Amino acid sequence: MLHPARGDGALNDAARDDRIASLEQEVRRAFEDAQREADAMFAQYQLSQLLASGGRPAELASVVLAEIVRLCGAAAGSLWLREPGTRPFRQAAASFGAPPLGPENSPLTQYEVSLAAAAAAANLLPLGEEPPEGFLALWPPEGAQLDPDGLRVVQLSRHELAVAFRGAQLRETLERERQELTAIVDGATDAIIQVDEACRIVRINPAARQLLGLATDAAVGRRCAEVLRCVEAGAHAEDACPLAEVMQSGRPIAYREAAVLDAEGAVICVAGGFSQAASDVTGHIRATAILRDISAVQALEQLREGFVATVSHELRTPLALIRGYTDSLLHLELEPAEQRHYLERIDQATERLSTLVKEILDIAHLQADPLILERRPVSFASLVARLRGDLAATGQAARLVTIGVDDLPPLEVDAGRIGQVLENIVGNALKYAPPDTPITVAATVSAEWLTGTIDDEGAGIPEADRALVLEPFHRGRHVRESSIQGTGLGLYICRRLVEAHGGRLWVGDRADHRAGTRVSFTLPLLSGAGA
Amino acid sequence: MQTVYGQDVRRYLARCAAAIERHREYLTRLDAVLGDGDHGDNMAIGLQAIRELLDAYPGESSPGELLRAVGQRLATTVGGASGPLYGTALIEAGLVAGSAPALDWPLMGRMLDAAANGLARRGRCVIGDKTILDTLRPAADAAMAGDTPGRTLMAAWRGMRSTRSLVARRGLALRLGARSAGHLDPGAVSCFILLAAMVH
Repeated sequence: MLHPARGDGALNDAARDDRIASLEQEVRRAFEDAQREADAMFAQYQLSQLLASGGRPAELASVVLAEIVRLCGAAAGSLWLREPGTRPFRQAAASFGAPPLGPENSPLTQYEVSLAAAAAAANLLPLGEEPPEGFLALWPPEGAQLDPDGLRVVQLSRHELAVAFRGAQLRETLERERQELTAIVDGATDAIIQVDEACRIVRINPAARQLLGLATDAAVGRRCAEVLRCVEAGAHAEDACPLAEVMQSGRPIAYREAAVLDAEGAVICVAGGFSQAASDVTGHIRATAILRDISAVQALEQLREGFVATVSHELRTPLALIRGYTDSLLHLELEPAEQRHYLERIDQATERLSTLVKEILDIAHLQADPLILERRPVSFASLVARLRGDLAATGQAARLVTIGVDDLPPLEVDAGRIGQVLENIVGNALKYAPPDTPITVAATVSAEWLTGTIDDEGAGIPEADRALVLEPFHRGRHVRESSIQGTGLGLYICRRLVEAHGGRLWVGDRADHRAGTRVSFTLPLLSGAGA
Repeated sequence: MQTVYGQDVRRYLARCAAAIERHREYLTRLDAVLGDGDHGDNMAIGLQAIRELLDAYPGESSPGELLRAVGQRLATTVGGASGPLYGTALIEAGLVAGSAPALDWPLMGRMLDAAANGLARRGRCVIGDKTILDTLRPAADAAMAGDTPGRTLMAAWRGMRSTRSLVARRGLALRLGARSAGHLDPGAVSCFILLAAMVH
């Protein structure tokens, strides 16, 4: 800078002009610097806004790369990121025309990325702290440099970039896990119910809604006691909710039986585990119940117990008789007439045993799914005629009365099985009705079905027992104490056999309201043969 | 167009504020599709705020001085990217106007050109990026070529309409990729509203 000298006007003026020019230059430079600074700030703002906009890692990567390529005045660029928890880098985004750094889609180590970038004449910027989370490869335009201001903005943002990408990757992982968990919960066959601290339902899976007969999401937000109605179902006292218990104690309940009411108010026995879920971000506790409908299991258990008790009783009784008679025969000197009598009794007991064994085998066979039926066209009349033939051998054929069984369209059934059904029902009638009373077999047809009825003049089956006698090992209360023998399996087998043909079997009153029982059943007609 | 004095610039800015207020909801609705849905609100709030600022300036302030002050205020108060971008445009225009007490149409053409250049530099955008520039650049070009204010505004209108079919290459709309096509750019629309307020 020139120092103005006193007394020299020309020099003074020149010095002043220089001074002014210099100051103007300085102002212009300061202005341009300020402009560039403002430009950089704005660029950084725009980049930050994109980074904060979230989105999936792939979308974020391509958007941010596009912004950076523009910012740095680059011809092309590619972005390489490391998947969380893994070492190698993968290309997350590449702008149009970016040269490949390696074989397509193959991961590269940090060393390989830097080698490949050098070979491809790319500027390489690491993102994040050492070791880097990712790399930016930028290619300057032909014969030019990258914009130094833009590059500086990217340099300043490289930690922010790393954090944003890591965040996006974590969000994606979290979202994927959440979806997987939702799929598991929604696909589970067990009822899964989650409640908050106030025991309000926050999650209820389709299995639970089905169990309770609820519409979609109708339960969310309601108190679980209102939805499950476990207190009304008699599961526990009002203050003994297992969900509240696990939230209070923090200890899971591995197994507990409970009960709930479904939409129709029927009690459903359930059992399962209760646990306290990890608290969510707000620090609130949640409890989860995973329950299974055990009504069927309980019924099966009762059935099994009944089966074992009945079968062992039924087996033991004739065995004891056989044992007693054989003992007598072996150790006593008996008259021939007596010996014969004893042998006849042994024969009867053996008969009873074989019937029982045959019925148990039948049941085992019925459980097989599907039941193998040999369905052939056969007339109902011929089935009744065969039954009459069997009864003739025991002299009881005269009790069998038939009404309207002739001239019916043919059935399409397994003749052996349906013969067994008729024999069983008629056998029951002969057994339980007074001697010499008639057993009436009648039949009508409609559309595709034949409805058969078998009436007796016995004591009838009390209303309450009618459904039960169709279940295994249930005998009517009034015959259970009687001397008439039975296993309680016959009608059950009949029902299953009829159902296997697609028909129904039920027990009711006689149509004429006289005392006695009417067993009705439907059987399929040969298709096209119906009325 | 008649010669424009400082008082005319004040009236122009008041018309801008009123027009933006009228279209506030429409702008916000457009921005909800492509951006973060606050453009109308941001612009309205920013233009309301400059009224007090203008009151603080003496009545004889030159157009350039007023435009620079308003640009400065918009750049620092309006949220989102539009504040700094419009701020830059107004400051650049104000710098071209310098301290001239009145503006004629040729000078205003040079001001529009400077505004477009400043905005393109700051936003690092070019024509076709689906931005404010798609409205501003054609208007500046028309004015520089000696077109009348009316024809200049027509050029701005065509530029604004062109953004509908464009795929966004700047700003938050980048996230939408090809899906950004089919919608007008809210910045291009607000820019047209501001230019239309010039031709009273």
